[in-house]
Order: sequence, then structure tokens, then C-alpha cells
Amino acid sequence: MRPMQSMYRRKRRHVPSLNMASMPDLIFTVLFFFMIVTHMRSDEVKVRLEVPQGTEIQKLANKASVVNIYIGKMGKKWAVQLNGDIVKPEEIPARIEKLRAGLSPENAEKLTVSLRADRHTPMGIINDVKNALQQSYALRINYGGIEQNDAK
Amino acid sequence: MFRKRYRQQIPELNTTSTADISFMLLIFFLVTSSMDTEKGLLRQMAPPPQEQQQPTEVNKDHVLQVALDASNQLTCNGKPVDVKQLADEIKTMVMVNREGHVITIHTDRQTSYEAYFKMQNAIVGAYSSLREAYAQKHYGKHYKACNAEERTAINDYYPQRISEDLKGGEP
Repeated sequence: MRPMQSMYRRKRRHVPSLNMASMPDLIFTVLFFFMIVTHMRSDEVKVRLEVPQGTEIQKLANKASVVNIYIGKMGKKWAVQLNGDIVKPEEIPARIEKLRAGLSPENAEKLTVSLRADRHTPMGIINDVKNALQQSYALRINYGGIEQNDAK
Repeated sequence: MFRKRYRQQIPELNTTSTADISFMLLIFFLVTSSMDTEKGLLRQMAPPPQEQQQPTEVNKDHVLQVALDASNQLTCNGKPVDVKQLADEIKTMVMVNREGHVITIHTDRQTSYEAYFKMQNAIVGAYSSLREAYAQKHYGKHYKACNAEERTAINDYYPQRISEDLKGGEP
């Protein structure tokens, strides 16, 4: 048993401090994890869009050969955005040509267009865009969507 | 000579703030990067029609005409259907005439993209369920578990024959 402490000789007891030396290492590990699994947002989406839901959707692989096309509302009007800037459907073939020239041959062959369009976009615009893509032989199209929840 | 020897101690660096700095970096990356992977339906379009290309004659019985009108009504060979029925129609069609069937898609300019997406979804679903069944029967495993060679064999067995009309009617 511990001897009883004298009333006058009070020893101050304090909580032992935690060793925090490994904390930065830990956080750095998390940081590196995030740096690897995520990718920087390459371009700002200027149009407002909400992609439709589907059940058969797959992940899009090989990001290097992907051209992004966003179709959505810009103010009151529908607008088409290719990678970074707003374009007209007629300008798409020239843009695709330029992008294709910048890719390596094997990536140019696998060129995929990720078409992310708003749910309420009229098909007229989409058909114009698809026509333009067809003219420039960009035939692989990924219709962007999100997984449908089966909760309902 | 008496020299008092005492061990020289390196003064410790105060590293408490390293954690804060790395937290800040972490939060920066969380904000600027996007976790969501691009997902969607991957489709292959037909090459642009050539000038002197003759339109091939296809037996009417082998054609499934899928159309979406301005009010997003889905019709299959003229009769209104929903996406489930469309998938079933495609499945029976493909099973009857594996290599000769043609699905034509026609959309109106006023059709909403969502309706079109749902239709594409149904078509992909119909084909993938057929391919899945074939993979189960012949390879005894899921289509997803098949290797590239087996997949090509399955895809060749159930080819997707889709013709899309991109004109889209009146502007």
C-alpha cells in the first residue's frame, strides 16, 4: 500500500503529455493517399448540369485520352462546353482535330468523348454535337451518368 | 585540468506545427481534387455515312424501330412501351436473330436527354444480360470475370447492331 501523503507535502501530479512526433507522419500518409487517388479538376465547368441516372453504367478508364464535353444551362440558354471553353457545335470537329494532334498515337486511337449533359437537354443539341463528333471520327462516347439508387 | 564534461544536447525542434501544416495541405487537396470517377454508358457510334454508300436493304422483320417523340414517349415498332418492355423486346429480337437484327433509334429534337439516356441504358442492359447469360453458360463465370479474349468472343456472339438517326427531325 502507498504510504499516506502528508497534507503539507503535496506533490503536483500532472497528466503525462502524449508524444505527438508521429502525428505529422500520419497526416502525411493520408495526404499522399489523397494525392494519389484523386485527380485535379482540370477545367471549370461553366454550365449548370445534372447528369441522368442509370443502372448499367461503368467506370471510364484511361483519362489521358478523354475529351470532356459538358452540355447544360448557361443563364437561360443551353450551351456546349468542350474541355475549358464554350463552343458552338460547328466548332467541335476542328477542336477535336487539334486535341487529337496533341495526343500520343495510341491514345488518339482510343479517344473517348465524355459527354456530360443535363437531364433536360433537348436531343436536338445533343444530336448536333454527336453529328459533329461523327464527322471528326470521335466515335467512342461515354454518356455521363450516376448510379441509380435502388432504395426506392 | 578538470573540465566539466557535460553532454552537449542538440536543442529539440518544436515540431508541433508540422501537423497543422500537413493538415492544411491535406485540406487543400481535398478541396481542389475530385474524388468522383467519371462514370457513364460507353457507346460506339457508327462512322459517318459515305457519299456514294448505298443504303443496305434490311428485311423489315429484323428491324426494331425504337423512337422517342417530343413528349418523351418511347415507342417500339410503333407501339408505346416503357423501358422494361423495350429491354424485353430487344432481348427476344436478339435471341431470334442474333447476327441479322438491327435496332434503329430515332429521336425528336425536343426529346429530353434523360429519356434518351434511359433508353440507351435499357439497350445496354438488354445486351449485357444476354452476354452475361452466355458467359455463365459457356465459361461458367460472370461476364465481368472473363478475360479479354473471352469477352471478344462473347461480344462477337452477341453483336450490337444499332443504327442511329442523328438528324432528329425539324429543328
